Amino acid sequence: MELLLIFVAAVLTNNFVLHYFLGICPFLGVSSRMETAVGMGLAVIFVMTLTATVTWLIYHHILVRFGLPFLEYVTFILVIASLVQIVEMFLRRFSPELYRALGIYLPLITTNCSILGLALFMVLREYDFIEGLVFGIGAGIGFTLVLTIMAGIREELAFADLPRAFRGAPITLITAGILALAFMGFSGLIRV
Amino acid sequence: MNPILVSVLSMGLLALAFAAILAVVNRKLAVQEDPRVEAVLEALPGANCGACGSASCRDMAERIVKGDAEPGACPVGGTESARRIAEILGLGEVEVVEKVAVVHCGATSEQKVKVAEYRGVKTCSAANLLGGEYACRYGCLGYGDCVRACGFGAIYMADGRPKVDVERCTGCGKCAQACPRGIITLEPYDRKRGETIFVACNNPDRAPAVRRVCEVGCIGCRMCARTSDNGAFYMDGNLAKVDYGKVYESGNWDEVVEKCPRKIIRMERAA
Repeated sequence: MELLLIFVAAVLTNNFVLHYFLGICPFLGVSSRMETAVGMGLAVIFVMTLTATVTWLIYHHILVRFGLPFLEYVTFILVIASLVQIVEMFLRRFSPELYRALGIYLPLITTNCSILGLALFMVLREYDFIEGLVFGIGAGIGFTLVLTIMAGIREELAFADLPRAFRGAPITLITAGILALAFMGFSGLIRV
Repeated sequence: MNPILVSVLSMGLLALAFAAILAVVNRKLAVQEDPRVEAVLEALPGANCGACGSASCRDMAERIVKGDAEPGACPVGGTESARRIAEILGLGEVEVVEKVAVVHCGATSEQKVKVAEYRGVKTCSAANLLGGEYACRYGCLGYGDCVRACGFGAIYMADGRPKVDVERCTGCGKCAQACPRGIITLEPYDRKRGETIFVACNNPDRAPAVRRVCEVGCIGCRMCARTSDNGAFYMDGNLAKVDYGKVYESGNWDEVVEKCPRKIIRMERAA
């Protein structure tokens, strides 16, 4: 039950993008086409799950054991950067199309605050290993969900006859804001 | 133990471990890339316009190197880029016919018969779903999807119909894809004379039907086909067409232009 709560909280009520405003960069950058949005979402789910497990292990078995929790930021960034590099090499080899479609946004996951946020929340909320894993998967799925919803809306909006001042970034930001409002509706569901 | 020493040691070891993993993965997953791809990419325009049908210029470069596409397959780069690519790949001389976009509808908004008022989304693709404002089902809708599609500023609206600036047009074909009625095609351009010749009508109906919807539609009178000295103009049903294999060798096409009773054999001339 506890695990389910963590999962639902990460996906809906405390969504990384629309509740914490983490990971806005790829959320705005990759959401113009559904295809790349799904690809990016999958990459983020993968990186988040890996990050959750690896950072948990390193935090508890190295940092805590040697009394070095103050090194968590540096260590997490190191771990995330390395993981993203591996994912990038992997994609380049096995899915060049996706690799090219994601472009600059893939290396940007490296410095993505949602991934670092995931690792830090996990420590802050004192999750155990399994909880951390579920939290990572949930956060990734939450990100993908929001990204694909946004891509769907933006694909439709591309055909709309907007006033000149609203074209491009403005309407995207307004859409994101309304989407965040809509997600506020979930907030009574669970307390984290 | 000294906390500074411990932190330095543990961070150093961690970094080393990750570096080792990355090095191994990099070796295992290395991607072999033909160095010629990079060279061919240099020779392409790099606009990533998608006119050739590939996703990007890099994609095109890979296809050319693999032999799936001709060196001159990039419609934007033209002869210059084709020659450089052929050189890189060690192929001989290549012949590339330069093309520009021509619009097969020459009617201004006054010359077209208007049958409705359209208040929807102001794009051709949307208007075409309902048929647009004009009676002619083959002609220009006039909302400029082609103008927006052009990445080179080579097409503009004048009197309710698009005009092509042949100097700027690279023949990429984006406008032709954007037009929901398919009235834009790419046709050979005579660089020496700086001209393209085309029939500015797309209506295949019989004369009475054409007259009802447009003041300048092709009525299929065959005047062009009869006047031309080398058969550079021919009839496709009720619609006049240009045979581009012959038209630039023709001696009297200006007479054809002159004699057309509807004045729709047009020339687009470089300014």
